[in-house]
Amino acid sequence: MKISSLKRLAAAGAVTLVAASPLLLLVGPSGAASKAKSVTTTTVAPTTTTTTYVNSTSSVYNTARQNAGTPNSDNVTTDPTTGAVTSYGDSAITYTIPSSSMVNTGEELFMQNCASCHGTQANGVPPAGTSGAYPNLIGLGPATIDFWITSGRMPAANPRSVQAERSKGKLTDQQAEEVAAWVNSLDPSYPGIPTPNLQIANVSDGSALFALNCAACHTIEGDGDALAASTYAPSLRNIPAFQVVEAIRTGPGNMPRFTGNLDDYQVNDIVKYVTTEIQHPNNPGGFGLGGLGPVAEGFVGLLLGVGLLALIGFWVGERE
Amino acid sequence: MSSANTKRAKKQALGPYGKVGQAINELDERLGVAKGGRTLMDKIFPDHWSFMLGEIALYSFVILLVTGVFLTLYYVPSSSLVTYHGSYAPLDGQHVTEAFASTVNLSFAVRAGLLMRQMHHWACDIFVGAIIVHMARVFFTGAFRKPRELNWTIGTTLLILAIANGFLGYSLPDDLVSGTGIRIAYSIILAVPVVGTYLGFFLFGGNFPGSVIIPRFFVLHVLIIPAVILGLVGFHLFLLVRQKHTQFPGPGKTENNVVGTPMFPVFMAKTTGFLLFVGGAIALLSAFAQINPIWQFGPYDAARISYAVQPDWYMGFLDGALRIMPSWTFHSFGYTIPWEVTLPAVVFPGILFTVVMAWPGIERKITGDNAMHNLLDRPSLRPKRTAAGAAVFGFLAMLFIASSTDVIANFLHISLNTVLWAMRVLCVVTPFIVYPVTKKIAQEVGALKGGGKRKTTNVVTLTAEGEYVATPAPVYVDDAVHHLDPTPVPTFLQPEEEVRPAESNGTRVADR
Amino acid sequence: MSENHEHRTPVALSGLSPDDPHLQPAAKNPLLVERLIALSFIVGTVLVVLFGYFYVKNGTPWTLGATLGGGLSLFGIGLIAWGKYLMPRGPFVEERHTLASSDSEREAMANAVVVRGGSVIKRRKMLGGLLGGGLGLFSLAALLPLLRSLGPLPKQTLDHTDWKPGSYAVDITGRRVHEDDLAIGSIVTVFPEGFQNTDNGQAVDQTVIIRISNSDFTTMKGRENWAPKGYLAYSKLCTHLGCPVGLYEQQLQMLVCPCHQSMFNVNDGAMPTFGPAPRPLPQLPLYIDAAGYLRAQKDFDQPVGPGFWERS
Repeated sequence: MKISSLKRLAAAGAVTLVAASPLLLLVGPSGAASKAKSVTTTTVAPTTTTTTYVNSTSSVYNTARQNAGTPNSDNVTTDPTTGAVTSYGDSAITYTIPSSSMVNTGEELFMQNCASCHGTQANGVPPAGTSGAYPNLIGLGPATIDFWITSGRMPAANPRSVQAERSKGKLTDQQAEEVAAWVNSLDPSYPGIPTPNLQIANVSDGSALFALNCAACHTIEGDGDALAASTYAPSLRNIPAFQVVEAIRTGPGNMPRFTGNLDDYQVNDIVKYVTTEIQHPNNPGGFGLGGLGPVAEGFVGLLLGVGLLALIGFWVGERE
Repeated sequence: MSSANTKRAKKQALGPYGKVGQAINELDERLGVAKGGRTLMDKIFPDHWSFMLGEIALYSFVILLVTGVFLTLYYVPSSSLVTYHGSYAPLDGQHVTEAFASTVNLSFAVRAGLLMRQMHHWACDIFVGAIIVHMARVFFTGAFRKPRELNWTIGTTLLILAIANGFLGYSLPDDLVSGTGIRIAYSIILAVPVVGTYLGFFLFGGNFPGSVIIPRFFVLHVLIIPAVILGLVGFHLFLLVRQKHTQFPGPGKTENNVVGTPMFPVFMAKTTGFLLFVGGAIALLSAFAQINPIWQFGPYDAARISYAVQPDWYMGFLDGALRIMPSWTFHSFGYTIPWEVTLPAVVFPGILFTVVMAWPGIERKITGDNAMHNLLDRPSLRPKRTAAGAAVFGFLAMLFIASSTDVIANFLHISLNTVLWAMRVLCVVTPFIVYPVTKKIAQEVGALKGGGKRKTTNVVTLTAEGEYVATPAPVYVDDAVHHLDPTPVPTFLQPEEEVRPAESNGTRVADR
Repeated sequence: MSENHEHRTPVALSGLSPDDPHLQPAAKNPLLVERLIALSFIVGTVLVVLFGYFYVKNGTPWTLGATLGGGLSLFGIGLIAWGKYLMPRGPFVEERHTLASSDSEREAMANAVVVRGGSVIKRRKMLGGLLGGGLGLFSLAALLPLLRSLGPLPKQTLDHTDWKPGSYAVDITGRRVHEDDLAIGSIVTVFPEGFQNTDNGQAVDQTVIIRISNSDFTTMKGRENWAPKGYLAYSKLCTHLGCPVGLYEQQLQMLVCPCHQSMFNVNDGAMPTFGPAPRPLPQLPLYIDAAGYLRAQKDFDQPVGPGFWERS
């Protein structure tokens, strides 16, 4: 890396502050603007906390585009007492910030399941005596945390592996939201936990967007494949709709993130395509052969096709 | 009841062979077919099972022709853009080429359309596979030797044409996966030194993609190459009939005769049955296994790409070669020769097919054997040839596997980089391992009595000391190999005594 | 039904008496075999009729294929069994006549070719040469319509793209990319404005923009202002064989080509670090205009895509 991390952080901070100001203007009418400059963080003691929703100084998901996963969206609802944003979005996707009532349970769950690697401050510094560097979770928004836990990748079954695998997971979806609530409370950010509205999605647009943006890694059939150096793009056959939005918006691991390059309507279309065509393909021609394309077809054609016919030829002719 | 108008009298007037005899007479008077037809019907075909492999290729080609005609009635070879409005929702409203739209419509809106498409595609995969298996049989048994070198050359040409036509055919629907293949083919053409850009621009009517490549592929795939294949197949079969088929050595078989079953009725029955079965098997495969679901791939768009886009299996050796090739490129004096492309995709297949085509001549030079051979070799009795063939097969098999490095890495959870390096090493090393191992095995098998097919029975006795001793058992009558000499075959037919009835109509009556 | 293992001497086809063992069927129980074959024909017929029925009813490939395939296969098996077990079992033998003609015929042919042909060539060598030369030139000329008419000359087409100084970078929908759009780790496919729906635009001009940092990024010497605010643009055409390099791993900061797995490090000018690609992806120099939109400074500094002879 050619730029020192300190410079980078300072630059990031400066830029986001500048970028944040127009955002604050937009969020203003709902009344949160007056509290915009102050960030209240939760303390360990379980008292009622007020979390205001502000563009975190270290948010990695900032974009000025409207309806692209940030509170800069058509509909924003705030808590009447605290003024914090509780949900935002548009007719395609609604993003929910987990309510502050979940924070305490979340903190407990975090200390039990996550702090051994990510540290008690969730900043990636593990407790003394544990080696290794783990990701800093502060300011990544509820959706990131929610994605990793609901897809079963966290808590990590094998922290040493290059890429965590999807699994049934240890925590329920509800517990995942609670953990996300606590981590988010440390430095409130976005995106919130999404709920896509598949009724208005257009599967044809979704297929075109999927082919251009997603098929290069996940394959056009959505089966996933190996990438460089033991990383891989996972199969999309088992992923629920909200996780698709989370993955697209947050870009987990090596997956690039799609913020200002796709708006919520486009992401919604992609989700519709994935949850219908990819996960429930019509396959009118028979067995899909695992969606592996010509590799599988070659095996079947040679072994079953030529092989079977050669066997019949064995019967037709003499063995002599 | 003795008038010539009764049914019996009429029947008798036809002669002892009835209406069929009459028909033969009529044909013979005009075309002289009786002698040739009889010779053809009496032709003897040896029927070892390994001689059926070429028939698999032939009959899958017949299926290709039949299903292909069906497809041409519905496919539109045009790159003009249309808006798809059909039953497949994820494509509805998208701008796609007419070629793609017509193929999707053929799959969903035409009765039996999808079945015909799948049969056509499966038949092609089987066609090329059967050709290769058949070629392997011919190679390992030495059937390419004098007088059949020309047939070997024709056969190799057929293999090249079959592979090329397959590539052209699966590129016709203009879907994302095959379109990527066309892009790669264009780049390979560009990479040819000196004339590459000209060839590419001529073939594609300009820069990629242009709008003429699909119609041109169509003409090649439907008209030109099938016509050449048909002609060559016809000549291939003619040579086979004229020179008569080879046969394995065995009781009663010599260099100067053919032992087997006659064309009519036995061979015709078996071969027609095999044709029906090949058609049936392809239909069954197409019923249960989906192949090339182009609607899922979507239309080709030069900015889109999918992962895991291997070409159809018979192109795999080229794809594998392209993947394992290191990035050696030559760039000097203002010119570039992209060796990382030309070596694996132009030079290597050129050398491979040249050597294969010239193999009868090469073997003649090495062995100095210029004699006629109508008896086949058992592969184990020619260890060097068998080992050489096996080494080439091993190398090609490694290339095919190298084509699926990403699928292997994903399946086995190994790093992609590791898999690729492993394939590089394997491709180089495998022939050098396969050759000596195969040679040794062939020599061992060849040295066994009876070529290893019959094991020598042993009688095992327990000695007083508790040792087991095996001694060859006495040969039983059933196991003895009978070397039978054929009864001498007359070199010409004794014309039988002609018994001509008074009002003969020319039909000969033989004693039955 | 098993084959008779007794070895019979091969005999010629003609002149056999009707009860010759070679003419007998191979089956030990011909009647049973006949019944089985009849059964297979009957079931086969039922299946192909069913195929017709399903066709009329617009059946799925699996019903159509199963009936057609099953029917044909049963016909085939029955016919093969008929030929194998119920027809004369042989083995029969026939003589291979020497293919070669007799010596006198060969000599006559050689004589015809050499002597008669000699009478043509020996005396009229010049004529033969002229005709041969003319026909040879004709065959060269005949190649012209076959090849040259097919397409235009390449000239300089491959050397440049449609990116011009000041071209806006737009995505596939035509939307201009703004500096506030992308977060770090994002990737978007762009084209010069106006070309996003053209063949050449998609095939040649396609470019990826990766947001790699929040400040100006330098990939190598001389490219200090090519990636403003961390917006890094590379040609999407792989330098190996032209596949779109759409696969980006944001933590490894690697662009991977899905076709043959060439890997390009985006940090240092998309240098290929693995795989068959020989050259780095050309970098498109960007700048951000007053309104904040990303625009190209100029075209790529080298031809994009795979190598070719004239590529200097």
